[in-house]
Amino acid sequence: MTRMPYYPGCTLKTKAQNYDLSTRAVFRELGIDLVELPRWNCCGAVFSLVTDDLLRQVAPITNLIRVQELQGTDSVDDPRLVVPCAMCFNVLKRANARMKDNPEDLKKINDFLYLESQPYRGEVQIIHTLELLKEISAKRIKEQVKFPLLGLKVSPYYGCNLLRPKDVAIDNPENPTLLEDFTQALGAEVVFNNRRLRCCGSYQTVSEKGLVADLVYDIIMGAARAGADLIITACPLCSFNLDWRQKEAMEAHSDHKLIPVIYYTELMALALGIGNGFGGEHFVDPQPLLQKFLEKEKGGI
Amino acid sequence: MGYPDYMYESIKLVEATRPRRAEMAKEGLQKFLKPLSAEEREKVLRDNHPDYQPEARKPIRVGPNKGEHLTSEVVDILERPSRLPRDFKLEPVDYETDVLVIGGGGAGCQAALWAAKNGAKVILCTKLRLGDANSMMSQGGMQASVNPGDSPLIHYLDAIGGGHFDNKPELLKIMTSEAPYIVKFLEELGVIWDKLPDGHYQTQSGGGASRRRMLSCRDYTGAEIMRVLRDEVRNHPEEITILEFLPALELIKDEEGKAAGAVLFDMETGQYHVVKAKVVVLATGGFGRIHIRGFPTTNHYGATMDGLVMAYRAGARLLHMDSVQFHPTGAIYPPQIHGFLITEKIRAMGGQPVNAKGELFVYPMEPRDVEASEYIQECKKGLGVRTPDGQYGIWLDSPLIEILHGSGTIERAFPAMFRQYKRFGIDIRVLPMLVYPTLHYQNGGVEIEENCHTSVPNLLAAGEVSGGVHGRNRLMGNSVLDYNVFGRRAGIEAAKLARETEIKGRLNVDHVWEYEEELKGEGIETKGYSPLLLPEYRNLESLKRHRTEFDPFAPAGL
Amino acid sequence: MTQDLIPIYIYSRKYYVPEGSTIITALEYLGFKLKKGVGCKEGFCGACASLYRLKGDYKLKGGLGCQTVVQPEMQIVQIPFVPAPKAVYKIEELQPDPEIFVRYYPELYRCLSCNTCTKICPQELQVMDFVQAAVRGDFEQVANLSFDCIMCGLCSARCPAEITQFNVAMLARRIYGKYLMKKSTFLEQRLKEIESGKYEEGYRELMSLSQEELKNRYFQREIDFQIT
Repeated sequence: MTRMPYYPGCTLKTKAQNYDLSTRAVFRELGIDLVELPRWNCCGAVFSLVTDDLLRQVAPITNLIRVQELQGTDSVDDPRLVVPCAMCFNVLKRANARMKDNPEDLKKINDFLYLESQPYRGEVQIIHTLELLKEISAKRIKEQVKFPLLGLKVSPYYGCNLLRPKDVAIDNPENPTLLEDFTQALGAEVVFNNRRLRCCGSYQTVSEKGLVADLVYDIIMGAARAGADLIITACPLCSFNLDWRQKEAMEAHSDHKLIPVIYYTELMALALGIGNGFGGEHFVDPQPLLQKFLEKEKGGI
Repeated sequence: MGYPDYMYESIKLVEATRPRRAEMAKEGLQKFLKPLSAEEREKVLRDNHPDYQPEARKPIRVGPNKGEHLTSEVVDILERPSRLPRDFKLEPVDYETDVLVIGGGGAGCQAALWAAKNGAKVILCTKLRLGDANSMMSQGGMQASVNPGDSPLIHYLDAIGGGHFDNKPELLKIMTSEAPYIVKFLEELGVIWDKLPDGHYQTQSGGGASRRRMLSCRDYTGAEIMRVLRDEVRNHPEEITILEFLPALELIKDEEGKAAGAVLFDMETGQYHVVKAKVVVLATGGFGRIHIRGFPTTNHYGATMDGLVMAYRAGARLLHMDSVQFHPTGAIYPPQIHGFLITEKIRAMGGQPVNAKGELFVYPMEPRDVEASEYIQECKKGLGVRTPDGQYGIWLDSPLIEILHGSGTIERAFPAMFRQYKRFGIDIRVLPMLVYPTLHYQNGGVEIEENCHTSVPNLLAAGEVSGGVHGRNRLMGNSVLDYNVFGRRAGIEAAKLARETEIKGRLNVDHVWEYEEELKGEGIETKGYSPLLLPEYRNLESLKRHRTEFDPFAPAGL
Repeated sequence: MTQDLIPIYIYSRKYYVPEGSTIITALEYLGFKLKKGVGCKEGFCGACASLYRLKGDYKLKGGLGCQTVVQPEMQIVQIPFVPAPKAVYKIEELQPDPEIFVRYYPELYRCLSCNTCTKICPQELQVMDFVQAAVRGDFEQVANLSFDCIMCGLCSARCPAEITQFNVAMLARRIYGKYLMKKSTFLEQRLKEIESGKYEEGYRELMSLSQEELKNRYFQREIDFQIT
């Protein structure tokens, strides 16, 4: 087992516990033990573009100090910080980059954080779970698949936070393939949705339900036209919007087609045979589809 | 900071005997040390306990207990005139309510909650902030028979023996039999009791208890219960009006002699407020801050016996006001924490009292008065440890706890104590604490019966201000229980009484003037007034050019 | 015993007080009659929260007046309490659901993780850590980390996000104590015993004993600290 520092983020402890649980389970299966930081705080939720309000960078940097502290012990083998939430990943990585580019800012923040055991040195590396899967390689994943997802039509959805701005992108921002490669490794059929990079509506979902519902309608219908059974995401907020705003989309558009949305780690857990059902609340319940598929698979063995 | 160098000579002796004493504790101290017999108890108390010393008690010359011997300092305060001016007018009335609860500690909060639950409109007034009370400070725990092998009856027997068989049996029956319910009630409000992983309560033994019966919340037991009760009182803004920084000065009666409210006093503005109420619940706490026989105290700043004074003037009988509880383990060094409480739970978990030579000289789990007397005796024998300002103390060997229960126990089970000493440079995981008895609790008080009635109609009392349930010596963990059990009962009874009560005729404070006439008749002339409201700690030197006419708290004799 | 006097500033004025005084004893030494900003005097009630600065140090510090020893040139003010919103709720109608923080203390989510609360806490609690635990709905961690909170209010006075940390923690602890801790099964049994009158006969018997008999019973009672 390789032990790596792990930052779940607040949403994975509340609304997206299924993402947290499935992530841990999947990586354990692949020989990586994700060690949750002993103390961590909210990443800041949205990366602040305000340049004269450094206080907003304190939250992400405090977390990176926690990673440094863990690196000083013998509780991790690979010192890179693993982050599954696309939002958290985006904020942490951009804050980290800003500190690297602006040593003055880093110094100011360190002066402010005098209570911490050590200043932030700007050297922590942050890796998204999808990047880590790529390192592990599609080949190895394929070898470990117990139930190949043959015949399941899966439409990957990226959203914005994993690919923009390009400095923090985990893949080619215009033409990513990470999720597609991964889906193929699991034996599923990749369905290409030309809306896969569109914005899901993000936090507008709180105050502008209708607007978000229209965006979601567009994205889901893109997948539907391509013949998808299922959409996978790597972001709790995308996941929430794509799933729950289908309610409003359905009400506003009579031709709307309901498609279930799950995390890629849940799909993977299914294929690796380590579980189906990590909880999670859905508007469009994925279970009928997944159950049906599982029975077919198991029946075939 | 930390201990002065010369003390380390004695600390070395303590360290030398520690391994052997740890062995004894593991085998069970009862095998090596026997609790005292009845005769031995009496002797050590007579020879050493402050209550038994000459001039500790004297007869009171006025009021319902006239002729009885009470603690001298109590008599001095009771024999003072009121703060009310003779031309005082009760009109207009500022507040009207069903139930007036005087006091914002544990008993007051319980009473307010239960009166409100039973349909009464409540005003709760308190001298300082809501929750500023001795209730907040209790550390060790609350007794309740929640273990198999224990029972309310054994609890009863322990408490009545500890109280020298003077407890009012019917009160003690109520307290011991309702204890498990209080545990449940508080838990349902959200109190976090220390528990074992299987949900059972973690219990410790306590002085004078024959079973493990002490429930705790780390060493913030009182604070945890008090802050939950306070929060719950504040969850009922419709039914309970809270008046903070408004102490009561005197009770008000109607023409039938029933308690019918109180006069409140704003200490900042000098303003009076009149509250008219159908029932008054007295929950004003105890008297530590009157510093009986010059002892330091563990008590809250506001513990100045105010309620007892008001009730006595109104004609309420007192009980057991000749006995004072000195807690065996008050800090005596460093000077900044002189008199502060060192919880009995330290001994319950294996911390042993040892003398300057490192000898364990007493069974650590005697009732408090006996245990305290033993410490005083040991110091008299010359076996105490001298402090830089010439006082003597006994070591309380806290590092034993780490040996007996594993390292980390002190920080986990005694965060308050650990923090307290750390602030002054002493690490109690490795160094013992220097202790001496400190004034802790008012054993007696306004006599009550099962439903908290005093001898004055419509005046109820609960908590430390009341007397009877503990006899002449309270056991550890029974005060938290007392205020919860009787605070609740007082609230229920007050609501019921309010429904049946009609205030008759003119509101008056005639009883105050009658009491003052009685003082005059006895030829008693004293300096100062009562209730005290606040204790006096100002440096008199700094008040040399003080204008007393501007200061309602001017010390007598300035 | 003579004591050295040291200079301190109280509400901006310079005074001399004995070395080793706490803030509270210094005030009393100087003739202040304390009517607010004083409480248990033993560090349990949070009534005497004080702010101070030390000479040559830009940091604003917080402490309890009864527990903080004065130092030369220290500047001191007291904060008797901090005005704070307190949610009114029926505890029996709540659920152990993170949503209750959204309902009662929505400002909680404004936390910037700046740790200013932790810096000022006189109990040296990890205040920000329990605020963050509340953000992610971890009731147990809030309860554990905030247990020693004496609700002095200094954290709330300093918080740039205007959170009332101590009231948030109060709500979390009550939820934890009421809904999430394991219950004692024996307690229910004991309560049933009491309710059914199991001990009534025993009480009657004990209460009918003569003083002499009662004393004998007491001094001969078995002492047993084992839990069976």
